[in-house]
Amino acid sequence: MYYAARVAEEKCTGCKICIISCPDSNVIAYCETKKVKIDAGRCKGCGLCVSVCPKDALTVSQD
Amino acid sequence: MNKPIFQISPGFEEIMPPEYRELVANGPYGKGFGVSDLGSYKELIEEHPLCAGCGLALSIRLALASLPNPGDTVIVGSTGCSSLVFPQVALHNIHSLFGNQNAVASGLKRALKLRFPDKVKDVVVIAGDGATADIGLDMVMQSWFRRENITTIMLDNEAYANTGGQESGMSRQGAVLNMAPTGKKFPKATLPEVAQAAGCAYVAATSPAHPRMLEKAVRKAVLIAREVGPTYIQLFSPCPTNYKFKPQETIPLIKQREKEGIFRNQEYISDEAQRFLDSLEEARKK
Repeated sequence: MYYAARVAEEKCTGCKICIISCPDSNVIAYCETKKVKIDAGRCKGCGLCVSVCPKDALTVSQD
Repeated sequence: MNKPIFQISPGFEEIMPPEYRELVANGPYGKGFGVSDLGSYKELIEEHPLCAGCGLALSIRLALASLPNPGDTVIVGSTGCSSLVFPQVALHNIHSLFGNQNAVASGLKRALKLRFPDKVKDVVVIAGDGATADIGLDMVMQSWFRRENITTIMLDNEAYANTGGQESGMSRQGAVLNMAPTGKKFPKATLPEVAQAAGCAYVAATSPAHPRMLEKAVRKAVLIAREVGPTYIQLFSPCPTNYKFKPQETIPLIKQREKEGIFRNQEYISDEAQRFLDSLEEARKK
């Protein structure tokens, strides 16, 4: 329904660059599995995390 | 804001919103978190209403995450896009008249020194470029001349973004905006140099494209402002809504500007401030 960032877990290396590039708070969390997790309800879908991800693990897409 | 102030009274846990409960349980107060800990705790901002991809929102988020002592910090804001964020921030904050922020902060800092002589209380001004460089330049400069112990952080989005895009003193020469269709006729104000000449002990210009640099600048500025004198930080935060670029291009745009040499990161520390930082470093080693 809404546009939000999605993470491909197999590509994510847990470098946290997306977390410190997101303009909104508490959208991207760092899990115990050393991967990132996205709270789609808070995401505005700006795509800044996609533009900085070095592994292309993130995409902005509809549900 | 100290933890006892906002802790929930026994029996009222269930009626408080989940975000508030999370802040009490997992907030950053007194834990010494920095930018690298983001994502593992409940942040101070809760769902702000700024646009998607806003560079200013990213600057505020990183600046608040790098405050050395968020429990005893008071933020003074001013009108603009940034004033839409501060109602959602879990810190003491003041909103006064447009451009008055440094005058209010000066008085506040003096009052806090008298009221809490044995405690460290930081006063940080976070305002936009219109409030700092145009409308409030008088108050900002006078607070630097008086050597008030406050930190001034300017969020430089190069326009009056909140009111539809008028040109500000910080807009680039030739910038065309919604309400400035003929382009700006004179160059951008060089406020870091002005701050240096006006007596700031620490001056830095950086951007959220370098989060670690931003964190170090904010920490140094707040620590120096406690003891030495006024400090100034300018954060370049492009506005995708008024400058008509895609929201995902905010950080690439800053890097491109750096490559072209239009924007550069700079830092100035006075000798006295450097000695103070060195003494802090030595005390930590011991």
